Amino acid sequence: MLVEALNLVLQPSVLLFIILGVAGGMCIGCLPGLTTTMGVALVLPLTFGMDATQSILLLIGVYVGAVYGGSMSAILLNTPGTPASAATALDGYQMAKRGEAGRALGIATTSSFLGGVISCIFLILISPVLAKFALKFSAPEFFMLAMFGLCIISSISGKSMLIGLLSGTFGILIATIGIDDITGSMRFTFNNMNLFSGISFIPVMIGLFAMSQAFVGIEDIFVKSQTTKKLSHVFPKREDWGLIVKNSIGFGSLGAFVGSIPGVGADIASFIAYGQAKSMSKHPEKFGTGLPEAISAPEAANNGVTGGALIPMLTLGVPGDAVAAIMIGALTVQGLQPGPLLFQNDAPVVYAIFIGLLLANICMLVLGLNSVRLFTKVLSVPKQILVPIIFLLCFVGSYALANNVFDVIVMLVFGVIGYFFHKLEVSASPAILGLILGPMAESNFRRALLMARGDYLTFLSTGICWTFFVLILVSLLWPFAQKQWLKRKHA
Amino acid sequence: MKNILSKLIFVPLVVAGMSTFVNANSYPEGPVKIIVPYSAGGGSDSVSRALAEAIKTDFPDGIAVENRTGGAGSIGMSYGMRAEPNGSIVTMVAPELVMLPHSGNGGDIDYKQFIPLAIVNSGYAAITVPADSAYKSLEDLLVDAKSNNLLFGNSGTGSIWHLAGAGMQQAASVEFTHVPYKGSSAAITALLGRHLDAVSVSYAEVANQVDAGALRTLAVLAPNRLVDAPNVPTATELGYDVVIGTWRGYTVPVGTPPATVTYLTDAILKAVETDTFVEFMKNTNNDIEIIESEEFANKLKREDEFYKGLISSLGLSQ
Repeated sequence: MLVEALNLVLQPSVLLFIILGVAGGMCIGCLPGLTTTMGVALVLPLTFGMDATQSILLLIGVYVGAVYGGSMSAILLNTPGTPASAATALDGYQMAKRGEAGRALGIATTSSFLGGVISCIFLILISPVLAKFALKFSAPEFFMLAMFGLCIISSISGKSMLIGLLSGTFGILIATIGIDDITGSMRFTFNNMNLFSGISFIPVMIGLFAMSQAFVGIEDIFVKSQTTKKLSHVFPKREDWGLIVKNSIGFGSLGAFVGSIPGVGADIASFIAYGQAKSMSKHPEKFGTGLPEAISAPEAANNGVTGGALIPMLTLGVPGDAVAAIMIGALTVQGLQPGPLLFQNDAPVVYAIFIGLLLANICMLVLGLNSVRLFTKVLSVPKQILVPIIFLLCFVGSYALANNVFDVIVMLVFGVIGYFFHKLEVSASPAILGLILGPMAESNFRRALLMARGDYLTFLSTGICWTFFVLILVSLLWPFAQKQWLKRKHA
Repeated sequence: MKNILSKLIFVPLVVAGMSTFVNANSYPEGPVKIIVPYSAGGGSDSVSRALAEAIKTDFPDGIAVENRTGGAGSIGMSYGMRAEPNGSIVTMVAPELVMLPHSGNGGDIDYKQFIPLAIVNSGYAAITVPADSAYKSLEDLLVDAKSNNLLFGNSGTGSIWHLAGAGMQQAASVEFTHVPYKGSSAAITALLGRHLDAVSVSYAEVANQVDAGALRTLAVLAPNRLVDAPNVPTATELGYDVVIGTWRGYTVPVGTPPATVTYLTDAILKAVETDTFVEFMKNTNNDIEIIESEEFANKLKREDEFYKGLISSLGLSQ
């Protein structure tokens, strides 16, 4: 098995795609405004002509590179390249202002690497076990899992819970278009053949995440980018290593755990890690002044998410975050169905993903330590060049999916919607997860009732169901409990 | 002088005339596209790409697969149906061509608007249960189904494997609870987890699990026993007259010149004999079944009638 997987990965073309993916991901990640999800969504159409291993490893490369790349602009410009590195900017920029930009980047790079490796180990150890266990999941369990995912996204994404809920509901509504899974009747198709099988979510993603950002980019297209600072001593010094390793193991694991929860991504993981590091610290008051542990913790956590997010995606077919959702699309296009069967039918591909994720992290470390200067040059590419390239990629990408102009129209419509989401500070991630988890919840709800002949108690018939029931209650009550706790603390 | 002048006028005219005459018979001129109405990487796509590879020697300007997906195949088939009838666009069609219109989600597709060339591949439904199931034979299952409501998984409401399960219940005069999943592999996963009593998806899709000893196929809904599963009886053998399966065939729009139709048909029939194609089909668990144009046309007509009746009896017609 391992030999077969190595055979798949250790090919010049696959290795090249991993390196290109990581390098491209770093470029995308370090550019403020270009998010990880957008990068992966833009690269996805390029993979249609590749084989399964090349395709998924290129995307994983972009994922790993972009999650890390965001920290470069966070540290150098105080502008996080991706939301996932917003926490890094807090202390990273302060340290860079002191003239220690190299040290900050070094800590971020090594912590990202170690966090990524930790999450990779989690992925390798947990997912085969979980894949066997996942066969126990039937319709009621999947319904409860989807509900849990929906509860999570609504309570923690975006600035306001209400807006998060609305965004999620918007996604769920979009997903109701098309032929209904259970009865086969038409919903909101207006007799348009293009809508029969629903709106395919890849053009929606390209629109919401990439096209919308290109529209935003037009606004200040003539504003000059900031120039970068001088860098030295990127490789961490001895006194930083102990702290980096300690933080990476702890917060990398935390990131992997957070990543494996459906609906929660790298941005949330890095803030949780920053908060945890602060509360565990002996001198929390110094946070925000450029502490090394305040850079290491969120960076280890956000790259820790990468492996974690792949766990439910590979074993259950449920995306751990928006990027994993795109990867489900990529695998499906290749004729592979993520889920427990993937481990039985296409085990070499699964192991190739494990090896590829590890290689992508190594590649990120090498590129990060050696060519930070080169990548920061990307920050000075003028928007007049960048924005048209994104436009082009959006159009080509959405057309290439099915050779259907309708998908390009869908992409444009969601690009405009995404632009207004941006203006109104509505997070688009709940919408995407609603788009994916909504139909999953609905069809499994109805399937479960069909199988149980209408008995609603089926949703609490197994231990797995009860576990999710408790988790749902906790996630719904948590924000209120937190508020009460804070009130008491201040009182 | 007059002679030369008349030659000067006449010769080019003849040449021009000849070249138009030659043109009419010079198919293929320019590249040819095979429209596959399903996504890249799937079974239909890979079979069509293998065929394109085997056939390319007959198409000097190239022959390539183009995926036009959506609407369970209706978008691609509709596109191919409306293409210029000059042989530059060949469309892959599947049973959905004669199924979707009856459930009201086929858009404008109509099998009568296509000239069938040949079917190259088929896959039949199989009634499959978990290996440790109490049902050792189709008879066991159907007897139990008379008193118990069995859960039958399929690949989606109105899909070919749903109709297979429905066809089985009709032939045996029993009633199953049909549980639709999104695609066959989700249904197989649920069967492996013992959440279903049986599935009615194609044998090719369960073959790996049957070989691995996790599942057991009780019967195939095929006209003859399958080469890959010689020990599995057909439903017909056991006294239930039901044959349901998918197939992949190639067509051109009505109005295509007969010479072009013949050229394409011959090229396809030649290509499916090549070692590369045969090898590919064997490696990918696809059974080659060649059905030539006349029989293909009859099959379309027959299945159109059959699915019309089955779909309306299931209450799926709209």
